[in-house]
Amino acid sequence: MLPAAELQILATSFAVASRALIWSLPFAIAVAFLLSRPSTPGRIILDGLTHLPVILPPVLVGFLLLLIFGRRGPVGALLEQTFGVHLAFTTAGAALATAVMTFPLLVRSIRLGFEATDARLFEAASVLRAGPWDRFVTIALPLAGPGIVAGAVTAFAAAMGEFGAVITFAANIPGQTQTLPLAIYAVLQEPGGEAEAVRLALISFTVAMCGLVAAEFLQRRARKRLAG
Amino acid sequence: MTLLEADLRLRQGEFLLDACFTAPVDSITALFGPSGAGKSTLLSVLAGLKRCEGRIALNGRICADGAAGLHVPPHQRGFGLVFQEARLFPHLTAGQNLAYARRRASASRYEIGDVAAFFDIAGLLERPVGNLSGGEKSRVALARALLAAPEFLLLDEPFAALDGARRRAFIDVLLAAHRRYQIPMMVVTHNIDDAASMASHLIALKQGKVVAQGPFAAVAQQPQFQALLDRRDIGAVLPTAVLRGARDGANGGLWLRADHVLIAVSPPQGLSARNILEGRIAMLRAESEGSLLVTLESEAGPILSRVTQEAARELDLKQGKPVWAVAKAHAV
Repeated sequence: MLPAAELQILATSFAVASRALIWSLPFAIAVAFLLSRPSTPGRIILDGLTHLPVILPPVLVGFLLLLIFGRRGPVGALLEQTFGVHLAFTTAGAALATAVMTFPLLVRSIRLGFEATDARLFEAASVLRAGPWDRFVTIALPLAGPGIVAGAVTAFAAAMGEFGAVITFAANIPGQTQTLPLAIYAVLQEPGGEAEAVRLALISFTVAMCGLVAAEFLQRRARKRLAG
Repeated sequence: MTLLEADLRLRQGEFLLDACFTAPVDSITALFGPSGAGKSTLLSVLAGLKRCEGRIALNGRICADGAAGLHVPPHQRGFGLVFQEARLFPHLTAGQNLAYARRRASASRYEIGDVAAFFDIAGLLERPVGNLSGGEKSRVALARALLAAPEFLLLDEPFAALDGARRRAFIDVLLAAHRRYQIPMMVVTHNIDDAASMASHLIALKQGKVVAQGPFAAVAQQPQFQALLDRRDIGAVLPTAVLRGARDGANGGLWLRADHVLIAVSPPQGLSARNILEGRIAMLRAESEGSLLVTLESEAGPILSRVTQEAARELDLKQGKPVWAVAKAHAV
């Protein structure tokens, strides 16, 4: 059994990663679908915006989030006045920063799922009286299923390990925003914290491996089902 | 009487589709033409998968009107389309594919069990579509299209992937479905035998243009239609009822090639040939290869025969002369 402190770190990581995934998944599916269609206007710009977090330094992403969603930021102030919601330095904020950082990974995998679908099946559905939304829900989504599942699991595993943007935007608050990598960073700041850091690193490694193996397994199973 | 009226244009790069035609309600129309004539493109335009200029009207209802900027999307148009490949949904079983169509056709007169039994696919409904053979896929695709209760069913050579007996069997099923469900159909084909056995109406397409259209037997005799045929395919359509040895159950007619018809100037006797039709020579036409194409009028309609110049001289073939056309049962 893990000690209570480590369990709490793991719980925080799960809370942050799962919120990040749940919030970003619908957007990621929408963006991936738009990117997979050659007819989408402004596709190159959308593609560029989606991939920005990969290229920008994570600290910069965290800083930009602070500027926008911080208490004095335009969106942050609005959220506080209207809903009384604080994002900066909260679990929700950590989830937002994580969601932004893992978004490109999620979109990429889902997009591959949509692109692997035979577009001629949409024509077949349309002459069977299925409208655009109907076709998206009944043909596009289920056929991209393997890509969506794989993307979600990989993004979840990656979300457990987000560091730069999270610490900048949400700080390192035990029980709220202190996820596994932030905890590792914290113990390394103290003299003699190496042993604890190694323990946390092993946990982190195990979670990541489980995620990757699960993604591969789920994707294979879904493909097999589709292939009949 | 006229069900489908179209006068449409579509430019795709160098290719221009410019088709003006009508297709009747009560029969199967063959859309015939060489590959690259634009047959599949025309079906896509009719179904609404491609936008066009000009007009399309189905049962008096306008589906597309380029000048008015009107383009009724495919799912609201009422056309069914069976593609060359079956295009079954791979994440569904055969039965779920049928249910997909039936669920969206609120006014459908057909039930899945009934249609599945008719197409002999009732035993396949639980199977994932990846486990079906080519012929089975074609039948499921046809059944699925019917269950959507289209007002007009377009078929883009759905039997192109089938060969020999399976192809014949599929055409028979198609004809039986037409009789039973009374859905007007337009079938794309570049095979004259298939066209003659299915259709009573004919639209001939060449390089994007309609070069002939009308009742099958009449169009089949028009020079602009015959010009689309390979030299050894030139012939005429005969009703199967007048021919002995023609396959049972064949609808419409049978394409009798000029090369398969002999001419006798007296009533033939002691021949193994099963089909002897009496007629009168209506026309003689010299071909560039030195042969003669003889058109004779019989009670069953015009028959074509190809003879050599030498034979024509010896038999003294000329317009108005009574003759007998002889065809082997094997040719029919």
